[in-house]
Amino acid sequence: MRLRDLVPSAANSVNTTFILLEKGHISSSKKKTGNKLQESRECLALVADESAAVEFLLWDSECEAFEPGDILRLTSGIFSFHRHKLVLRSGRKGRVEKVGEFTMLFVESPNMSDAALWTAAKKRRQEEPLGEGQLL
Amino acid sequence: MSSSSVPQLLLTGEHEAADGTELSLREAFALLRPRLRPPFPLRSPSSPAEYHQLILALAYGALSDHPRAARAHLVHLHATVSDGYSLFTRTLLHLSLHSFPRLLPSARARLLSVTSELIGTAAVGVDRLVVSLLRWVHIGDFSPPNLWLAEQLLGVLTLRWSWLLEEPSVLTSALFLFLRLLSDHYRLAAGDGRMDSLKSAEVGFCVRALREQFHLCVAIGRDLVRLLQDLVSVPEFRRLWEDLLIRPSDISRLYRRSTPAEYLLMGITPEMETRMRFLLSQVKTGSRRRYLEWFAGKFLRRPEQEAAAVDLVRFVCCAHHPPNEVLRSDVVPRWMMVGWLLTACRKNYFAAGAKLALFYDWLFFDEVNDSIMNIEPAILLMVNSVPEYVELTQTLMEFLLLLVDHYDEGRRDLILQSVRKAFREVVRKGVVQSLDALSTCSLISPALRESFTRLIHGSNPAQAQAVD
Repeated sequence: MRLRDLVPSAANSVNTTFILLEKGHISSSKKKTGNKLQESRECLALVADESAAVEFLLWDSECEAFEPGDILRLTSGIFSFHRHKLVLRSGRKGRVEKVGEFTMLFVESPNMSDAALWTAAKKRRQEEPLGEGQLL
Repeated sequence: MSSSSVPQLLLTGEHEAADGTELSLREAFALLRPRLRPPFPLRSPSSPAEYHQLILALAYGALSDHPRAARAHLVHLHATVSDGYSLFTRTLLHLSLHSFPRLLPSARARLLSVTSELIGTAAVGVDRLVVSLLRWVHIGDFSPPNLWLAEQLLGVLTLRWSWLLEEPSVLTSALFLFLRLLSDHYRLAAGDGRMDSLKSAEVGFCVRALREQFHLCVAIGRDLVRLLQDLVSVPEFRRLWEDLLIRPSDISRLYRRSTPAEYLLMGITPEMETRMRFLLSQVKTGSRRRYLEWFAGKFLRRPEQEAAAVDLVRFVCCAHHPPNEVLRSDVVPRWMMVGWLLTACRKNYFAAGAKLALFYDWLFFDEVNDSIMNIEPAILLMVNSVPEYVELTQTLMEFLLLLVDHYDEGRRDLILQSVRKAFREVVRKGVVQSLDALSTCSLISPALRESFTRLIHGSNPAQAQAVD
């Protein structure tokens, strides 16, 4: 699917290919599960395809595995709110892997993680209650 | 045997998708493995599909299996082959062109020795395989794996010298590459044992080719002179140069021959070529920033990598000529790319080399034999940089004037006439409306404008009118 067609959903159903534009810094946190202290890392990245951009949350070893310019394929990913932010990620069931580098076109707007985009869509829907139910 | 023990061919990271070619070879190998051990079945494969699978399996085994088994796979191949090794060689060529950077070191070594063996059997298409491997030697990269590849290829070519004489385009492609590498390698101070012995092997190969087979080497055309001039400080080449100058007709003959694009590809890797062509055929001017950052980050960041800018400029001018629909679109134009490559050169030495690369075809331009596309980026870069980057325009104009006077003082007149012809042609073909943007621009110093006007029109004002 195209990134432009993403809609927030609790299902692991996003299959798509995009190019990694930017990586934020990697933050690590420690969590206690049972009596083990587990460290996990995450890194917010900007990715895009020819239809839109979106923020992608890299997790653990994914954080170091990819560099800007890498073309990535996401299978069974999830697009949902994570810590009050709308992000795409592979989640527990999904998988993201590098399939190439460089040779992919992209646009940087709209950014599907932009909250204003969704507020505007919601407002439009409220104004046209009998519309097609399209989000954007 | 279980497929889990199938040996590796490519380096695949934890989050990296499997390579399609590797996958198909690997499947064939896993499937046929029980039949790949001696004694080999006497019957030949019954169908083309079966033959195809067997060859793919043998290719995979020859590159990845442990040494004794790999040897056996080659024996098997020699006993089975019925197409002049065409499919086997094509399979290796595909791997070389698309997956060489990911090949495991052991598989690279195997690929080199198998290639040498294929040369010995006169395999169909082995010439293209050798050229593809030569192209993976990077300019401006002194890392051990890169030096290793150059050493190995020199070893193979020296061993297979008589084959090279039957494949002159491989000989000249290799000569182009090693001359280019030598000027790169001579910038490093002597004293590193490995580099010194590589340099002496490179000198040996190039001097032998030039002295014994000069009639073949002229196929390279005018870039051969450009490469040799970079090496005049090397004693062996100084002597060679002096001998060449005794026969000035040879030099003039070379100057008149525009270098075929296939040689200019030798200076850049297949990876650089793919990315550069993508930029110049798909990426819109407004979206180029990130791509250029990525390109520079991978190929031009380290100081020694700047050397590649020269080869990239030659590639853009002479080996990548976009069709009209791209020229008319808002895709990144070639002159803009050249401008960017020039700014990527921080060292004067590389900047001068890149500017020479840009103007080289101007110096010997002849409207009958030369393509206008080779000279187009330079004029558009000069004209379009006014007014915002007028310093660049001035630098380029000054550099061109300097070239006319000093590039080859013995042939100053030939060069002057060629440059005039080039300017006339870019106006006649409508690449630019006129040269006024350069000759009357108030941002350019009056002295420079005057020299420029004299350059394009001669000193006679009546002649000047005639040209306009």
